[in-house]
Amino acid sequence: MSRRPDLRALAALFVLTLRQHFRGRRLLVLSLLFALPGVLAAVVAVTSRGAPAAALEFAFVFNLIPHALAPLAALLYAAGIIQDEVEEQTLTYLLLRPLPHWALYLVRLLATLLVTTFLCVVFTTATFAVIAVTASEPAAAGLIGRAWKMAVLLALTQVAYCGVFGLLGLLMRQSFLAGVVYIAALEGLLATIPTVGRRLTMMYYFRVLVLRWLAPAAGRDWQIDLVTAPPARTCVLTLLTVGIVSALLASLLFAGREFRMKTPEGT
Amino acid sequence: MDIEPAREVAGPPALTPVVEFDGVSKWYGNVIGLNKLTLRIPAGVTGLLGPNGAGKSTLLQLATGQLRPSQGSVRVLGHRVWNNSALMRHVGLCPEQDVFYEWMTGYDFVRTCARLTGMTGRGAAAAAENALATVGMTEHMHRPVRGYSKGMRQRTKLAQALVHQPRVLFLDEPFTGTDPVARRDLLDVIRGLGKAGHSVVVSSHVLHEVEMLTPNVILLHHGRLVAEGQIQQIRDLIDQHPHRIVLVCDDCRLLAAKLVRCADVDGVKMLRGDQAVLIETRRPDEFYARLPAMSLEDGNTLREVYSEDNNLEAVFKYLVIK
Repeated sequence: MSRRPDLRALAALFVLTLRQHFRGRRLLVLSLLFALPGVLAAVVAVTSRGAPAAALEFAFVFNLIPHALAPLAALLYAAGIIQDEVEEQTLTYLLLRPLPHWALYLVRLLATLLVTTFLCVVFTTATFAVIAVTASEPAAAGLIGRAWKMAVLLALTQVAYCGVFGLLGLLMRQSFLAGVVYIAALEGLLATIPTVGRRLTMMYYFRVLVLRWLAPAAGRDWQIDLVTAPPARTCVLTLLTVGIVSALLASLLFAGREFRMKTPEGT
Repeated sequence: MDIEPAREVAGPPALTPVVEFDGVSKWYGNVIGLNKLTLRIPAGVTGLLGPNGAGKSTLLQLATGQLRPSQGSVRVLGHRVWNNSALMRHVGLCPEQDVFYEWMTGYDFVRTCARLTGMTGRGAAAAAENALATVGMTEHMHRPVRGYSKGMRQRTKLAQALVHQPRVLFLDEPFTGTDPVARRDLLDVIRGLGKAGHSVVVSSHVLHEVEMLTPNVILLHHGRLVAEGQIQQIRDLIDQHPHRIVLVCDDCRLLAAKLVRCADVDGVKMLRGDQAVLIETRRPDEFYARLPAMSLEDGNTLREVYSEDNNLEAVFKYLVIK
């Protein structure tokens, strides 16, 4: 019997996962949350006529989205890659197919990564556009370039976040709570304290990359000295390594784990 | 509970096994799901019987690679099951859980399951249509699953289990919650699968359902194998329990009075308002041998004689209940 993963079966799983993610209330809630920065930027721009585009971009695009919304999206989707199927008891239908378990996990993670990155990129670009249109001091110059670089940065952070939260979803049942605590304590608090400890956070490497690639004027608020900060390549590799290692660990964990589906009688 | 070792009850079938459990135990923490189970399930239709909590679902989940045995080995079609995804091409399971991707139509659900086995889009569509036709769901297949009746849901679950033409099919309580018509239809479908050459293992805690499907049964209780083989084989080997025979004649009171004096009759009971007599005997062969003569005595003609013990329910009671 061939043990090679069937690419057609994996493609079908990829499509199924996308279909699952693109329906339901989760997408609606996240879409509303992701629309918030654009709406807030427009409100601020309209109500305070002196708000420059650069300040709005820094507040909403470089802070609110990557600090709160991007990790939250990764948490909501990635932690449920397997947990949702277990809770819905539909995992049986996947385990009964000729899909190696490690590949099953990785394909679902890949589809999840695509969805969360799509959400981040679409709404970040929309926020850029809203700011460019509504700010009193437009920053249209280089808008496409900034949006493109930001998309790449968000995709990188999603690789890391989805990898970590996917692993978290396999390790503990209360993964959402643990994830929120992680986002608030490490990515939110620790990343802002100028100590060596912040190098343990994904947000630190994201910020270094933002400073190196986009150089926002208000970036000094992050208190990162680019002379001592790691080079861009190290930041990219760190984010990718965290994501890939977490994904591989999780796929191995999933492959070795059994999932007992409770029967209606609770036998 | 009297639980007897399986080997003392009936020997394993001699046919080539499609499913083999060799000293398999499965624990859930301190709870034991299966206890040192050794059995061989031959090709054909086999009934897996036992009350709730007997270990039927655990057995099926082990046989389909969803659970890893705590001890022992499980093989299907000669291959180890745990972590053997390639084997799943030849195995189908209709799970007991009444769950689906509710937002899909029945056709979409079954086609998706087919595609997950590696079929092409066109091949999966054709296979899904065939499978749904087999279970009689063609008419409703384009409706969302969430609107299906229980019977339709069971049929759709069955369709996903056989959409990839598995060689071995495991059906976990496929009749649960179905109405009599759906139940009859499902029975016909499963019988048809057996005739078509599929090996089918059907679990149920309702004995007559399995009895209508196959004479080959495996009885589980408290995670242990109580008996395996043909119903009659099993029945023949439990002679330590009295046989229950019902006799119907013109004058049952007269017959009962005669029977209580027989040495090979352990008990007599009137049934159906004195229209029948139930006797218990530990020497059924002797009793049956005397029956023709008895029938001719006194002109009290025996009109009907049957053994209640041919009913699976009785066999099951004998084997597991005091």
